[in-house]
Amino acid sequence: MAASTGAVALTISILLVVTGIALALATAGVVTETDADATVVPQQGETLSDVGGVEPVQLGAANERAAAIRDREGVDHASPVLVETVRLEGADSEVSDAESGESDAESRSSGLVALVGVVPDDEERTVAGLSTAGLEPGDPQYANGTYDGQRTGEIVLSRAAADRLDAAEGEAFRVVGNRTATDQTAFTVAGVDAATGNERDADVPVALVHLSELQSISGASAGELADRVLVWGDAEATEAAAGDAYPNATVETADGTDPSQLFDDGLAFATSLIALVVGVAICAAFVATTMGITVNEDRRMLAVLEAVGFPTHSRLAVVGVSTLVTTLLGAVLGIVGGVLGVLAVDAVAGATVATRTVAVIHPLFVPYAFAVALVSGLVAVPYPLVVAARTSVLDEVGR
Amino acid sequence: MNGLDRSGRTQPASTESESTAAVRLDDVTHEYGSDSGRFGSGNDRTLTALRDVSLAVEPGTIVGLRGPSGSGKSTILHAVSGLLVPTSGTVELLGTDLTALSARERVRIRRDHVGIVFQRFHLLPSLTARANVALPLVQAGVPRSKRRERAERLLEQVGLGDRTTHLPGELSGGERQRVAIARSLSTDPDVIVADEPTGELDTATGAEVLELLTSLGDDRAVLVASHDSATLAIADDVVRLRDGMVIDDAG
Repeated sequence: MAASTGAVALTISILLVVTGIALALATAGVVTETDADATVVPQQGETLSDVGGVEPVQLGAANERAAAIRDREGVDHASPVLVETVRLEGADSEVSDAESGESDAESRSSGLVALVGVVPDDEERTVAGLSTAGLEPGDPQYANGTYDGQRTGEIVLSRAAADRLDAAEGEAFRVVGNRTATDQTAFTVAGVDAATGNERDADVPVALVHLSELQSISGASAGELADRVLVWGDAEATEAAAGDAYPNATVETADGTDPSQLFDDGLAFATSLIALVVGVAICAAFVATTMGITVNEDRRMLAVLEAVGFPTHSRLAVVGVSTLVTTLLGAVLGIVGGVLGVLAVDAVAGATVATRTVAVIHPLFVPYAFAVALVSGLVAVPYPLVVAARTSVLDEVGR
Repeated sequence: MNGLDRSGRTQPASTESESTAAVRLDDVTHEYGSDSGRFGSGNDRTLTALRDVSLAVEPGTIVGLRGPSGSGKSTILHAVSGLLVPTSGTVELLGTDLTALSARERVRIRRDHVGIVFQRFHLLPSLTARANVALPLVQAGVPRSKRRERAERLLEQVGLGDRTTHLPGELSGGERQRVAIARSLSTDPDVIVADEPTGELDTATGAEVLELLTSLGDDRAVLVASHDSATLAIADDVVRLRDGMVIDDAG
């Protein structure tokens, strides 16, 4: 029985570690590192677009609705967030390119950067791991939806972005590439955040700009589009305000990882699903084998039970219950092992090759582990039952 | 000794002949190696354990089964207990033909009416003496408090009142056999079968166990199988067996 319990515990531990890695994969993103109390994200899979899946689903009228959320009692601030990856090039790099005749896409002052458009306020907030304090409060260019207000041109770079662009405060960069007529729009570095950016994607260069200025560049101004809306304030008020503004969207509160994101990420979902199937199969095989051995060694006990008047179904119930109890006990140990495993994987990965969180833990892992153990036990139990049913009383206790 | 209230327990059906014997075997033959069905194959791969054995045991008597190893003593006890169905013949327990019952019915009859004492005790090592004695009562649906009370009373009667919480591993051979005897009496059975009950015990301890078996027989039918004369000395009648046949039925 100890062997069965240990086998289940080991399998569950490994399953939880793999699932934790898959969950970290699924929830990793440029803008996940924020101190917002609630986040509104569009619900996946409900668009009717024929080209659904080509572009991610976005939130519309984001600027207007965020303003409405800000007016709610209990809400400190709300900001739509739009992320666009653009190529920035030093605004004074034309001469050097012409002279050298080179067109190196990764030249010293050129590179891909994830621009994150936000609407900052007077308070210092964290978006995409960067502080909004470097940007002028408000969103002047938005001008109540006309987008013809005064443009600030400010950009706050993460450490990674500054290194890639070899940029310093005060330098100018322009957006290049096949975009709207506002190509060549220039930004001036208002600051370089000492933080590396999003903790989970520290290698991705990110930069903060004003939302309307990014919407203008990317063409998202037409519908005031944004990828999500962040809300700060009282927990209940922010969640309620966000839900009222976007009744058909998903409101996530600031309690860490959302397991449902596993289903939105194909790779992560496939990883965790395969881990589940393999885990159940291995667990069931272990339990069936070890419980079968245990029952075989306990044939005499079963024979005695029959001799003193226990019918077959009662004896088999003893075996069945023992098997299920073993798997559930293994689940308990497996949960402990899984949590420790996740922490160990993260620690080792962080100390060696990883620059971000590679595995996460979620409270749902507990019922998940028990469910897997139960299913494994049910799959495994027929074998020890068959072994028990074939016990011969006369052979075991004939004298 | 107070017995259990018999209401609600399985009651064997009475036959037309209204036999007074608690146990009756009529022309019982059993062959090992053939199917457990009721035909003899006669081929040379089968072992005939019993040949046309007939005997009867009245309530309140002790019948000894004597013979060398392989003479069929244990097979008779197994048939009486319902642990096997003979190849042919009938085995009646309190008027009910066990050979006509299903396996489940035989288990029920055995639980309610037969107590078994094994040579090697066969106590469950992880249960205390009290729990071992109470084991048959679990399946009989007796409430936990009553099971405990009955088990302690029985252990007191076999002289182990101060050993109720001991595990079998903490008891001597004689004490373990006493626990086994107490277990065989827990459901107040009508028949007790004992297969070489002193086989694992020294002479003095064996004598104590036999004395106990005799004193607790009351109005029960007791079958004792042994090749030991001292053990069979407690019997009212002794049936001698050889090669599966009754060769003598003398007191």
